Amino acid sequence: MAEEETGYRWETEYEKTWEALVEDESGSLQASVADIVSKAKRRHLLDKIGNVRLGMMRHLFVIIDMSQAMNDQDLKPSRILTTLKLLEHFVEEYFDQNPISQLGIMASRNKRAEKITELGGNPRRHVTALQGLTTKPCQGELSLQNSLDMALQTLRHMPGHASREVLIIGGSLTTCDPGDIHSTIKILQENNVRCSVIGLSAEVRVCKKLCQATNGQYNVVLDETHFKDLLNQHVTPPPATANTESSLIKMGFPHHSLTGDKNSEEKASMCMCHLDSKESQGFGSNGYFCPQCKSKYCELPIECKACGLTLVSAPHLARSYHHLFPPEPFKELLTSDIMTDAAV
Amino acid sequence: MYEMSDQTAVSSLLVLVLDTNPVWWGSRQQETQVQLPECLDAALVFANSHLMLSHNNKLAVIAAHTDRSHFLYPMRQEEQMQMDADGGDASVGGGDGKYELFAQVDSVVKKEMQQLMSQNPEGEVSPDSVVAGALAMALCYIHRLEKECTIGIKLSARILVLKGSEDNPSQYMNFMNAVFTAQKQSVVIDACIIENESGLLQQACDITGGIYLKIPQETALVQYMLWLFLPDPTVRSKLTLPPRAQVDYRAACFCHRHLIDIGYVCSVCLSIFCMFSPICSTCQTTFKILGPPKLPKKKSKKTS
Repeated sequence: MAEEETGYRWETEYEKTWEALVEDESGSLQASVADIVSKAKRRHLLDKIGNVRLGMMRHLFVIIDMSQAMNDQDLKPSRILTTLKLLEHFVEEYFDQNPISQLGIMASRNKRAEKITELGGNPRRHVTALQGLTTKPCQGELSLQNSLDMALQTLRHMPGHASREVLIIGGSLTTCDPGDIHSTIKILQENNVRCSVIGLSAEVRVCKKLCQATNGQYNVVLDETHFKDLLNQHVTPPPATANTESSLIKMGFPHHSLTGDKNSEEKASMCMCHLDSKESQGFGSNGYFCPQCKSKYCELPIECKACGLTLVSAPHLARSYHHLFPPEPFKELLTSDIMTDAAV
Repeated sequence: MYEMSDQTAVSSLLVLVLDTNPVWWGSRQQETQVQLPECLDAALVFANSHLMLSHNNKLAVIAAHTDRSHFLYPMRQEEQMQMDADGGDASVGGGDGKYELFAQVDSVVKKEMQQLMSQNPEGEVSPDSVVAGALAMALCYIHRLEKECTIGIKLSARILVLKGSEDNPSQYMNFMNAVFTAQKQSVVIDACIIENESGLLQQACDITGGIYLKIPQETALVQYMLWLFLPDPTVRSKLTLPPRAQVDYRAACFCHRHLIDIGYVCSVCLSIFCMFSPICSTCQTTFKILGPPKLPKKKSKKTS
C-alpha cells in the first residue's frame, strides 16, 4: 500500500475470493469463515513481531473532518456520528494500551481548524469532548493545511524522544488551503511528524502523498467494521523513525497516601490538577505526591506542574512492556496432548 | 445477588492458588508457625465452604511449586477415568455419610499434593514459587470454563492466592501480564499472605479490585479466610472490610532491583534505572547526554 505506483485493484489479476470458502458436512460456511478470521488474526500477530524500535511515548493529534461531506449517510446513521462513536472506543483503547502517551483532538470545518482538546493523558476529558461534538453541525469545507499547521504548532515543541503523530479522519474529497500544502508536508517531514489518514469516501491524491512523505498509513474504509479495524491499527505504537532521539527520561514514582491515616502529619490540601476548578473536588489528604517537589495530584500519569517531572506508576510502564517484549505466539495443541503431559 | 438468582443462575468459580514451595515451608518453625498440612486443611475447609454455598459453585486448586504449577483439583480426565474404572468412588467416600463431593475434593487434593511433594525437583531449588505461571493456568482454566458454560448460567470467576514465600522479581513481566489479563476478563484476584509481604500481589489485588490481606494471626487462618474471602465480590461492598492497605506503586530499577522514587527511564525500551548511564543495558541504545541548554540548531538533522 505504501509503494509508489502499485496499480489499482481493478487492474490486477482477477481473484476468485469465494473459492477459499468451503462448506462443512452440514453445508454451513460458518466454520470456514471463522477459520479465515482466526488465521487473519494470527497472521496479524505474527507480522508484528520483529526487533523494531517503537515510538513508545506517543503524542497523537486526531483531526476530525467536520465538513459538509461528513453529513453523508453512507455510514449509518451518518459519517460523523459513526466516526465519533468509534473514536470514543479508540480513545479508551489507546490509553489502555499506551498509558504514558498523550492524545489531543482537533476538528476542521468552515475552512478552519479548531482545537477541541489539548494534548493530555486523561481519557475521560477526551471522551466528554467527543460526546459534545455530536451536537455540533458539520459545515463548510475541510482545510487540511490549517489543521496540520495547528497540530504542528504543538507537536514541534514535544521532546525529541517522543513519537509525534497525526491521524486524520476525513470524508471530504476536497480541501481548502491558504497556501502551498507541499511546503507544509515538507515541514512535517522535517519535524518527524507521522501523518496517517483514514478516508471515508475515496482515495485522495494529496492525502496519499502526505502519508507517503511522513511514513504514515493511508486507508479508505470499506464499511463500519473495516473502519473499526483501521482505527485499531493505530492503537499499537508505530515503529520509530530513524531520527527520533533516544534519551533517558527522568521520572518520578509517587507514593499514594490515603485518607484515614491519622498518624500522618499531612494536612488536607488541594491537588494541583483541580486547582482552577471552583468545586471542592480534589481537596483532601489523599493523593499522589511528587517525590521531587511534593505537589499533590489525584491521578497518574501526569507531568508535575511545579517541577516538570513525569509522574508515573510502575504498572503504567508494565502495561507498555508487552509491545516491546511480546509473548511468543501460542502453540495450538489438542486437548488429548495436554492431558498426557505430566509437567505443565 | 440473591434476588438475581431467580432469573439467571450464577455459578461462582473459585480458583485457589496454593504456594507449596518446599524451601519456604521447610524453613518454618515446627511449634509456633503454621505448617503446610494445617494450611492445606484450612484451604480445604475454605474450598468446601465455597462449594457448599451453592450447587452451581465450582472449584479448582492449583499448586504453585518452586519450578512448576500443578493442578491439584480437578484431576486430569485420564486419571479420573482410571479411578472410575477401579471403582474408587465408593472407597473415597469412606462410607461415613460425608457429602461425596467434599470427600472427593479432600482425597484428590491430598493425593495430588502427596505426589507433588514426593517428586523432588532436580537441580537447585529456589526459595520462590511460580505464582505467575499458576495465575496464567488459572486464567486459562477460567477461560475454558466460560466457553463451556451452559447457556443460562453466568460464570463469575475469581482467584485466591495463598502465598507465603518471597516474590521473585524475574517473574515481574509475566506476573503483570497475567494481572492485566485478569483485569480485562474481570477476574478478581484476592491474596491471603502468610509471612512475607508481597508487593506484586498488592498491585495485582489493587488493579483487579480484590482484597489483599496479610494474616495478623496465623493460627486463625481458616477464620480469616472464611470471613474475608468467602463472600463473592458482588456482596463485598455490603461488608465492613479491613481498610485497604497502602499499595507501593514504586518501580524497581533494572540495575540493582532497588525500589526508587525518582529514576531514569529509557525512551526506547522503557527500562528503569536508578542513575544515569550513557548506554541502556537492555537495548544497547546510546543516549544523548543532556548537557547545557540546546542551541537553536534544529534545522540540521542527523541523516542516518
